[in-house]
Amino acid sequence: MKISLTAFAGLFFLFIYAPLIVIVVYSFNSNPVNMLVWDGFTLDWYKGLFGIGERTLDPNQRAVYLESTPQLIAALKNSLTVAAVTTLFSTLVGTATALAVTRYRFRGRTVYTGGMMLPMMMPDIVLGVGLLIFFSTIGMQLSLLTIIIGQCTFLTSYVFIVVQARLAGLDPALEEASADLGANEWTTFRKVTLPQLAFIISMDDLVITYFISGTGSQTLPTFIFSMVRRGVKPEINAIATLIILASIIIAALGLWLNARASRK
Amino acid sequence: MTPRTRGHLALLLSPVTLFLSVFFLGPLIIIAVYSVLTPGLYGGVEWSFYHWNFGRIFGWADGLVEVFEPVYLQILLRSLGLAFLTVIICLILCYPVAFWIARLPQRARIVFLFLITLPFFASLIVRLYAWLLILKPSGLLGTVFNAVGLEAPEILYTQTAVILGMVYIFIPFMFLPLFSSVDTLDRSLIEASADLGAKPWQTFVKVIVPQTLPGIAGGSVIVFIPAVGNFIVPDVLGGAQGLMIGNMVEQQFLSSRNWPFGSALAMVIMAVVLAALMLFTARACKAGAAR
Repeated sequence: MKISLTAFAGLFFLFIYAPLIVIVVYSFNSNPVNMLVWDGFTLDWYKGLFGIGERTLDPNQRAVYLESTPQLIAALKNSLTVAAVTTLFSTLVGTATALAVTRYRFRGRTVYTGGMMLPMMMPDIVLGVGLLIFFSTIGMQLSLLTIIIGQCTFLTSYVFIVVQARLAGLDPALEEASADLGANEWTTFRKVTLPQLAFIISMDDLVITYFISGTGSQTLPTFIFSMVRRGVKPEINAIATLIILASIIIAALGLWLNARASRK
Repeated sequence: MTPRTRGHLALLLSPVTLFLSVFFLGPLIIIAVYSVLTPGLYGGVEWSFYHWNFGRIFGWADGLVEVFEPVYLQILLRSLGLAFLTVIICLILCYPVAFWIARLPQRARIVFLFLITLPFFASLIVRLYAWLLILKPSGLLGTVFNAVGLEAPEILYTQTAVILGMVYIFIPFMFLPLFSSVDTLDRSLIEASADLGAKPWQTFVKVIVPQTLPGIAGGSVIVFIPAVGNFIVPDVLGGAQGLMIGNMVEQQFLSSRNWPFGSALAMVIMAVVLAALMLFTARACKAGAAR
C-alpha cells in the first residue's frame, strides 16, 4: 500500500515535470525540422532570439526563423511595465480594502467581503470580452493602459482575498509589535510574497490581455500565443526555456526570503 | 462610529469602490445589455431589443434572420462534460498524492509542496506548448511509439488532448485546497474506524471522504470555473473536434464580429459558473449547519 502510494506520487511528479524537461532539452537540439530527433547540441535558437545568429524566412533552413527580435523585446518590455504598475495598484488598493473589512465593523461590510470575490470568480473570458465592449463603447483606444486597467480588476480582488485570509489569522497585537516573529513574517508577506504573486499573475495573464491589447501592445504571453498558433518552431523552445528558468529563479528567491524571515 | 474612523474607512474603501464599479461592474452590465441587442450589418450593433441571440443558442430562433443552430448547444454540453472530466481526473490524481505528502516529515513536505506549485509560476502558454511538442505526430509520443515499432495513438486535436491540457494546467488549483483538507484530517478517527472493524474501503467512504469534503468541493469549483469557459487549451490542443464554448465567444468577437451574439454566449458561460458557485455555497452552508 505504502510503496504503491509512493510510486503513484512518483508518476505524478513525472507527469508534472516531464513536459517542462522536454522543452528545455529540445531547446538545445540543432534539428530544425523534427525537433524531437536529436541532431546535436546547439545554441543557435538562443542566439537567434537575441538577434546575433543567422536568420532566414525558410523554416527548413538551419538558421533562425523568427520575424523580429525587436518584437519579442517590445513584448517583454510591455509585460514588465504592465506587471509593475498592476502590482503596485492592486497591492495598495486590495490591501486597503482588506484592512478596512478586518479592522472595522460597518454597514455594507458583507457587500465588500462578498463582492470582492466576484472579479476573481468571474471566468476570465467573460471579463475580457466585457472590457473589450466597455472600452470600445466609451471610445478608449486599446493600449497598455487598457491592459493595466483590465488586469487590475481581478488582481485587486486576488490581493484582497489573500491579505484578508492572512489578516484574519493574525493577532492585531502582533502586527504592531515590530520586533516580533509574527510581525516579521507579516512584513515579508507584505513586501515579498504578495507583490511577487501579483507580479507573476500579471506577467502570465493571457486571456484578458488577449482581448484588450491593441495591435501595438502585445505582451509576452500574447506574443508567444500567436507564435504557437502559427506552429511549432525551435525558437519557441528557447523562449520557453528562458521563461521557465526565470520563473524558477523568482519562485526560489521568494521561498528563500520567506525562509530567512521565519528563521529570524 | 466616530468621524475619524469614518474618515479612515472612506479613505480605505473609496479607491476600490470607484475602480471596481466602473471597470468591473461596467463591463458586466454592458455585456448583459449587448446580449439582447440587435447585431448590425458589418459587425456593428443596433440599439434595439433582440432576444434571438439567445434563441439561436437555445432553439427559439425566428427561422428567418436567425436560425437555430444546435451546434452551440452541443458545444456548450461538450464544454460542461470536458470541464467535469477535468475536475474528476484532477481529483483522482491529487487525492493520493495529498495523502502521501501529508505523511512526510516537515522538511520534505515543504519541498514537495514547493515542487507542485513551481510549474504554476511558469507561464501557462509555455506549459501548454510543451504538450503540443509531446503530442504532435512527429513529437515525443510518436517518436517513442515508432521506436518500439508501434502506431502512435492520435491524441492531438481531439477532446482527450483538451482534457489532458486542462488537467495539466489546473492541477495546482485542485491540489492546494485538497491538501489543506487532507492535512487537517483527524487520524484518530481513521484508527478508531479500523479498530471497530471497518474495512479499509468503508473507512475511506464513511470517514475520510466526508472529512475531506470541503477540500474536494473547493478544489472542484476552482478547477471547474476556469475550465468550462477556457478557450486557450482547446485553441492550442483541441482542433475542430475539441472546440469549446470559449472558442465560440472568441470567434464571435474577433473574427465574425457579431458582438451581441458573442455576449449572449458569454452570458451563458456566466450563468453556468454562477450555478456551479451557488451549488457549492449551498452545500457549504448545509455542511456548516450540520456540524
